[in-house]
Amino acid sequence: MVTVESVKHGIGAGLACEHLEVLGDGQHFQALVVARAFAGKSRVQRHQLVYQALGERMREEIHALSMRTLTPEEWQQDG
Amino acid sequence: MDVQQRIKEQVTQNPVVLYMKGTPQFPQCGFSSLAVQVLSACGVNRFYSVNVLEDAAIRDGIKAFANWPTIPQLYVNGEFVGGSDIMREMYESGELQRVLESVKQQA
Repeated sequence: MVTVESVKHGIGAGLACEHLEVLGDGQHFQALVVARAFAGKSRVQRHQLVYQALGERMREEIHALSMRTLTPEEWQQDG
Repeated sequence: MDVQQRIKEQVTQNPVVLYMKGTPQFPQCGFSSLAVQVLSACGVNRFYSVNVLEDAAIRDGIKAFANWPTIPQLYVNGEFVGGSDIMREMYESGELQRVLESVKQQA
């Protein structure tokens, strides 16, 4: 069973995040990921970084991960 | 034919291609359904769709093709645009409409 905590840990361990929020029910998850590494990257490249952080095993176990990927600057403007 | 080659042909021979679970009429996953709705909201109702539930080789191969582990996947003019989250964000900012405008003019 995949938990919100394990998804959060998986992303956080593979990607340095300024801010990370994960919600979910064990199958579907929503994440807000704020990372400096996203600067200058397209949306596709940003999502690929998060998928990469999660690794193969967890990707198989999570049915669906919906995410927003922002740089710290974008996040501030967003608030 | 090699599955990567088949995918390459599909995305280059059709201006708009959506890899999805189910069909545009009967999507079998909420994210695929959202992708169809976003295209429709952009005025694109006719596009080439591939039901990955009917083709295990494509279902697997498409993930490697764009280094993208999830479905749906949208391609415009042979280029990978994104999954349903990205489609929705691009729609909300107006970017997706611009990307699709060039395709609609061709049709």
